[in-house]
Amino acid sequence: MLEKKKLEQYLSRCMDSHADFAEIYEEKELSETINMLNGSVENIFTKNTFGVGIRLYKGLQAVYGYANETDEKTLTDLIDDLRDALGKEEKGSDVALQRVEYENRHPVKIRFDEVSLADKASLLQRANDAAKAVDERIVKVDGTLLNVRQEVQISNSEGRLISDTRVRTRMMVTAYSQEGNSFQSGKDSPGGGMGLEFYETVRPEEIGKEAARVALVNLVAKDCPSGKMPVVIDSGFGGVIFHEACGHALEATSVAKNQSVFSGKFGQKIASDVVSAVDDGTIPNAWGSQNIDDEGNFQKKRVLIKDGILTSYMVDRLNGRRMNTESTSSSRRQSYMYEPTSRMSNTFICEGTSEFEELFEGIEKGLYAAKMGGGSVNPQTGEFNFAVLEGYMIENGKITYPVRGASLIGKGNEILFDIEKVGKTVKRGQGMCGSMSGSIPTDVGQPPIKVRSIIVGGTANE
Amino acid sequence: MNKQKWIDYALSKGFDSFEIYQNDLEEKNVTYYEREMESYVKSHVLGTALRGLYRGKMTSISTEDASDANMEKLIGTMIEQAEATTSADSGIILEPMTTEEVAKENRFVRPDAASIDKTFKEIEDKFHAYDERVFQVTDLFYTEQASSREISNSRDMHVRDASQAQAIIAGVAVKEGDEIKNSFNVELLYDIRDFDTDAFVKKAADKALNKLHASSIPSGTYPVIIEKDAMTSLFTAFSGIFSGDLIGKGISPLKDKLNEKIFADNVSIIDDPKNTDALVICNYDDEGYPTSKKTLVDHGTFQTMLHSTSSAMRMQMESTGNGFKQGYDSPVGVRPHNCYIVPGAKSFDELLEEMKEGLVIEGFQGLHAGINLASTDFSLQCSGYCVRDGKRDKSVTLITAAGNFLELMKNVRDIGGDLEWKTQPIACPSILFEGIAISGE
Repeated sequence: MLEKKKLEQYLSRCMDSHADFAEIYEEKELSETINMLNGSVENIFTKNTFGVGIRLYKGLQAVYGYANETDEKTLTDLIDDLRDALGKEEKGSDVALQRVEYENRHPVKIRFDEVSLADKASLLQRANDAAKAVDERIVKVDGTLLNVRQEVQISNSEGRLISDTRVRTRMMVTAYSQEGNSFQSGKDSPGGGMGLEFYETVRPEEIGKEAARVALVNLVAKDCPSGKMPVVIDSGFGGVIFHEACGHALEATSVAKNQSVFSGKFGQKIASDVVSAVDDGTIPNAWGSQNIDDEGNFQKKRVLIKDGILTSYMVDRLNGRRMNTESTSSSRRQSYMYEPTSRMSNTFICEGTSEFEELFEGIEKGLYAAKMGGGSVNPQTGEFNFAVLEGYMIENGKITYPVRGASLIGKGNEILFDIEKVGKTVKRGQGMCGSMSGSIPTDVGQPPIKVRSIIVGGTANE
Repeated sequence: MNKQKWIDYALSKGFDSFEIYQNDLEEKNVTYYEREMESYVKSHVLGTALRGLYRGKMTSISTEDASDANMEKLIGTMIEQAEATTSADSGIILEPMTTEEVAKENRFVRPDAASIDKTFKEIEDKFHAYDERVFQVTDLFYTEQASSREISNSRDMHVRDASQAQAIIAGVAVKEGDEIKNSFNVELLYDIRDFDTDAFVKKAADKALNKLHASSIPSGTYPVIIEKDAMTSLFTAFSGIFSGDLIGKGISPLKDKLNEKIFADNVSIIDDPKNTDALVICNYDDEGYPTSKKTLVDHGTFQTMLHSTSSAMRMQMESTGNGFKQGYDSPVGVRPHNCYIVPGAKSFDELLEEMKEGLVIEGFQGLHAGINLASTDFSLQCSGYCVRDGKRDKSVTLITAAGNFLELMKNVRDIGGDLEWKTQPIACPSILFEGIAISGE
């Protein structure tokens, strides 16, 4: 990382221009991926990322440059290019930085880079063996262990100098099942913002077994029916419905330019009374947590919806200027190669009051989405989609038979009003969220919920 | 980076062979919003990947700091990785191989800032003048890239090539009553002086305007034309089934299907990295293996799978020159390059006429989540329009198309002649299918 004196020199140079704000983001990341297929370590890949991103603002204009050489000439040339884009002005700027110290909310007990590769591969082996042991129809098990350690240092023309180290681990296991000509898969991929102590509580054996269980369910599942019907979406990764249907459309990236279905809806009712939701980047050691956001502000808990009323957007510094509001510490980016913008962290629907069984009451024909996959949304129209990885039919209030090949689609601003019942126990699931500033780790979550009516995309037309 | 020093050091540490792969990328992006420059991004990144065969195991690593001071640490990590690898399918570091090299003319002329400014303001004005329902130009984005790739190894290989590209992207939102629809248009920008802003604006605006008044349709099985861009995105999502890596590992549905009929008679698929109609050509893959034209599917019969040296070794076959990385910071995988479904003779309008009644799908959403590569099942949000008596009828939204890709490709009634290479290394023409399960109201 660059020394304070150098940073002050570079920031002062940045400010000798028409810029009213300048920021330097430095990043060093070690990412390690171990892949195992059927018990054999197929591939180990280590990625070392290193670079600097420099950003200048002039009102609502932003210029950004990045490089992975940090010698004086490279950075000075880059700053001069950026100054040219905004207009130079020798003002004799003199930025003085003050380092901000704080207590790390996300401590790591077992650093992955201090554990041997053989020991890390043995975690995958445990998952592999457990998956294989479930049933002889589990014919292949593909496991990947990802460990990341990202160090960032952020300094800006307001004198702030702050650092953070983000550590995360995730085990992704896909089990393949086969019977006759039917070849199916199931997966489980939990992770956390911590070291390898994660696997002391989330045991690799359970990850392997869960992947195998889903693969076997899909082997006997029937084609999913099509059409509009009530849907019960279970907790954990089921929260992807809120992430896609609402979360992205509450990011200032789209709200600030009136490009979201929720633009101008602050303080208004946007969901049914039973829906409250938060985006909380402070949860200790969660997958989507950080000590600071990627503009150097301390992460926060943001109450997005309270009893159906929109109470907060997720805002970064630049879009905050456009919206005449403060940043909510929501600025994130994949790496120095991306300008940061407003993004989610750990986003979930809060606990409700319904018992699990109550969610099924009165459903003559519907879908129980036990496990969800990813999805996407068009924030401007609100149209979203997401995949069902494990589903069951509900008939006369009871779960009957498994179905496969379903997706759920709808409009975010409508679906939030269709959430009829919210269960009691919130669980979160881990995912990678892709948007303008790259792919970042985010948690989604919710208790089990009942949606009055949603379009289910299946293959079995009746 | 003193490459010879790194190679010599690796060999002295017990590597049988060692490779240095570098990608040098310079980019510039400019965005405009409400006739003003909103952002300007400039970058230069040199990425380095190291790969070597150590005691029979292939090991690789990437770094963005390839200073000589890091040499011992990085090569030490590679040795640890090799020692922990148990798979015997290592691949090889190749000796130099020759091929008949093809060159592609560089037609891109760099625009200056003033001409970008003038063009963007013109585009924004033309969007607003085009139709009063255009209420926002949501995105105006110019991007230019110049990249070079260099592969050097201890077996005297030196491969170097370079490519350049630039494009304009626009997003537009239209509104009627409370209904809002949007669209994007991406066009390669060869010479800004020849850029047809009228055609560009018309294409994006019409696409958004046509979506207004869209509604869902009843669930059912409909004859469907998947329009060329949508077909390209669907085929891209399933292109992994031809990977010899997945087939060798037994997790592709095409395992044990070589020389079997897998698609309809009228479907042929070719992979040709030297196809100069495509944006970027490659004479060598990312292992330095010469690329070649291959017929993956010949009139419905699965004829060739794609291989890198590693996947070929597993199946005791030869590489097909398809060992490509997703970026310098990823390991070599197996990927198609300039792969396409062979077009038919009919124009798009003739396909509409042939279908008479049915549905046209213009776009799929959620392709990263709504497909299962193992079973090839898919269920995807899509949009498009109904066809009545061979003509465009009402627009359709909030529907899904679901099925099984292998089954779908057996039900091809006809293939259009409208294949068009854009920015991706995969392209498809529009295809008329007998029937696809659609979920709607």
